[in-house]
Amino acid sequence: MAFDVTLEMENTTATITLNGALDASTAPKFKEEIEKVPTGKVKTLVLMMEDLEYMASAGLRVLIYTKQKMGAHTDIYVVKPQEMVLETLVKTGFDQSVIVVDNPPKIEKV
Amino acid sequence: MEQITVPGTLDSLSEISKYVLSAASAARLDKKATYRLRLAVDEIATNVIIYGYEDAKIQGNLDLQAKIDDSSLTILMEDNAGAFDPTTKFMLEEESINLPMEQRAIGGLGVYLAIQGVDRFMYERSGDRNRNIFVVHLH
Repeated sequence: MAFDVTLEMENTTATITLNGALDASTAPKFKEEIEKVPTGKVKTLVLMMEDLEYMASAGLRVLIYTKQKMGAHTDIYVVKPQEMVLETLVKTGFDQSVIVVDNPPKIEKV
Repeated sequence: MEQITVPGTLDSLSEISKYVLSAASAARLDKKATYRLRLAVDEIATNVIIYGYEDAKIQGNLDLQAKIDDSSLTILMEDNAGAFDPTTKFMLEEESINLPMEQRAIGGLGVYLAIQGVDRFMYERSGDRNRNIFVVHLH
């Protein structure tokens, strides 16, 4: 099952778009993109999840890594997760540590 | 359904998911129960592959067999890695659910999602094999 991830940077916002199935075999690709995000500069991380059909705990592990790497001051937005992906976030309490929204936040102009 | 055997590597996860999805479709499982079953089998298979085979430097396979009757869909998954009973890890993972994300250990949660996602989960050790059994009731 296919998985795609893309990273875009604009000012202090990094946007990562996830597509397909995120399991233990594809999670390293997601982690690679997270590693490219410069920690000092980025204040907001936006994860576009509308087309993410499946997420296993390997995906949650990357989210933990992300939060630890970016620091508590970085806001992580999860945009439009599918119903079952959201269920996993809620069941594991991750919805308390990220901001789940229907639309991406406005990008801050510098 | 016919049994499948896949190599115990992470590349096999998508084939395992395909097998579970086709069993769920044959049993006419609804969308949510299908997703939860796929997640359950995927999580336990991932544990077997990473900890049972790769970390232990053992090569092995995973055998999957789906059984459908009037009341349930059962997936049996067997491996020949060292003995590991996922139910012993369930309580530990459940306790970490309330910790904020930045304080969590990287790891865990897979077993929690697996056991929590099916109607019944059983583990058996038979000879040198682990057998993980996932049961979903059909309504």
